[in-house]
Amino acid sequence: MCSLSAANPFIPYPATVTGVLDLTPDIKLFTVELTDPEQRENFDYRPGQFAFVSAYGVGEGPYGIASLAERKTGLEFAVRRVGTVTRALHELEPGATLGIRGPYGNWFPMEDYRGKNILIIGGGIGMAPLRPVIHYVLDHRSDYSGLTIVNGARSPRELVFSDEYDLWAEPAQCKLELCVDRGDDEWQGRVALVPQVVSELRPSPDNTVAIICGPPIMIRFVLAGLKELGFSPAQIVTTLEQKMKCGIGKCARCNVGDKYVCKDGPVFTFEQILNFIEQF
Amino acid sequence: MTSVIVDNNLHIWLKELAEKYILIAPVTSDGVTLFKHVKAPEVGSIDLQFLNTAVSPKGYFFPLSETIFSIGVERGDVIAPMNADAEVVIFGIRPCDAAGIALIDRVFLAEPVDISYKGKRDRTILIGLACNTPSPECFCTSVGGGPANPMYLDIMLTHTPSGYIVQAITGKGKELTPVTMVEEKDVPSPPTPRIAAIPMEGVREIMRRNFDSPYWDRVADRCIHCNICSYVCPCCYCFDIRDYAGKDKIDRVRSWESCQSAGFTRIAGGHDPRPTKGARLRQRWYHKLLYYPTLFGDIKCTGCGRCVRSCPVNIDIREIIMDVQKLNV
Repeated sequence: MCSLSAANPFIPYPATVTGVLDLTPDIKLFTVELTDPEQRENFDYRPGQFAFVSAYGVGEGPYGIASLAERKTGLEFAVRRVGTVTRALHELEPGATLGIRGPYGNWFPMEDYRGKNILIIGGGIGMAPLRPVIHYVLDHRSDYSGLTIVNGARSPRELVFSDEYDLWAEPAQCKLELCVDRGDDEWQGRVALVPQVVSELRPSPDNTVAIICGPPIMIRFVLAGLKELGFSPAQIVTTLEQKMKCGIGKCARCNVGDKYVCKDGPVFTFEQILNFIEQF
Repeated sequence: MTSVIVDNNLHIWLKELAEKYILIAPVTSDGVTLFKHVKAPEVGSIDLQFLNTAVSPKGYFFPLSETIFSIGVERGDVIAPMNADAEVVIFGIRPCDAAGIALIDRVFLAEPVDISYKGKRDRTILIGLACNTPSPECFCTSVGGGPANPMYLDIMLTHTPSGYIVQAITGKGKELTPVTMVEEKDVPSPPTPRIAAIPMEGVREIMRRNFDSPYWDRVADRCIHCNICSYVCPCCYCFDIRDYAGKDKIDRVRSWESCQSAGFTRIAGGHDPRPTKGARLRQRWYHKLLYYPTLFGDIKCTGCGRCVRSCPVNIDIREIIMDVQKLNV
């Protein structure tokens, strides 16, 4: 089976679900281990890369890997129930088998960001591909200057990774700003949109890299706000989501202009994106 | 002197090819010419007077639908598809269709290699037939090809009143040439047919500047997204991957798809970067005339004219190219 997967890029590695955690009412965090120890060892990935997860009989889909390889937690995927494959994945319980192929795409060049202030801005499930970036910075904390995280969701119940906030925001480690579009009876935090929080926070563009992911509308307004604060497009990085079938630059579905998100991305700076002929 | 195979010998050669190989050749029935498996060629069963086939032979490398692998339901084991290892000869392929396969090669043979495609590609020999009579919709000479272009073929045949001129192009082609049936004669090549030229100057640059032009929506207005343009195209290669669950096994199937399908780029959750016919049709032309040329140097169109012939609402890529030049803003 090992040689088959090596030869045919479309054949996934067999894998087992080892953990399922409800992050929000419609987002689950799956922990997955490749069955073959050698394949598990060789599956090396970087923050920002993605993989295809197969729910056999229903299909497969591309998901950003939400874990950091160095932490050896197993592969983690945050999956929102929105379509047929994600619905099937949500039915899976620990012990279930599935298929994984990848890792695909480029990654956030964390080494290049050394010594910089890291500003992470995520909305909803958009935090999933940013989580390994957060973990990486926390695990190499002295390599980086300030760490600011703005994390927003539609409602308090929809904030992802809430059980980790205490670990992220341990004193002096990081400044964590949470916000929701609509609060509820218990919510004591900010009720504001992510772009609004960013603009009020007034992060300095000096020696800062802003890493953002969220719905296109959020990205558009965050971008405008950062521009106003003096950020140049080269210091703003994002990861794009497009419809994909192959993940290896062949099926001709995920292109934005002449760039294929699966192999040229998914990580792009806004300097690159501004040169795209097409909108994403 | 030229190597020539006379009609009678050609027939004998075809019989031999059909015995040794899976022979794929143009066959006309009910007025439609298609590439078909010809097991025992009789005189006249292979159409050698055809203009071009209704569909290109790309499906012999990139099938309309194929199982990439299966998963056993009980044990979850991967079952590789049965790969035929018989060698295939595609006889009578036009230079434009061979060029179409070469355009797909650049994508499917790039790392990581699509092994299903490569397997079929490696096992296939292309015997081409030069066009003495092009169709009215042909424009191969405007996009880097020609009616007698031997590139991408293993053997090139050219029909003359004294028989078929045989040119071995590749090593594979040399090996396959039936030396005992070929005569060395002084046979002049037929005159090169005239093919109307489409001006291509500056198209890329103009398209780069006119992505947001209202022209694209306007021309797409009459498109009924039937996808026939992609279906008949010798170099369209968009595909879909789906699971088909059976009782004992689940098949993961790859099949042709078209960038013209509504929802082609719609992600789960509903966001669609190309929600309109205009955006999708624009993608088709931009891929062919700008994106692919930017990545690989060549225009992703062979000028075969099939999409022009097949479009039920007369959308004509030649017209688009000429209109684009008037957009020049």
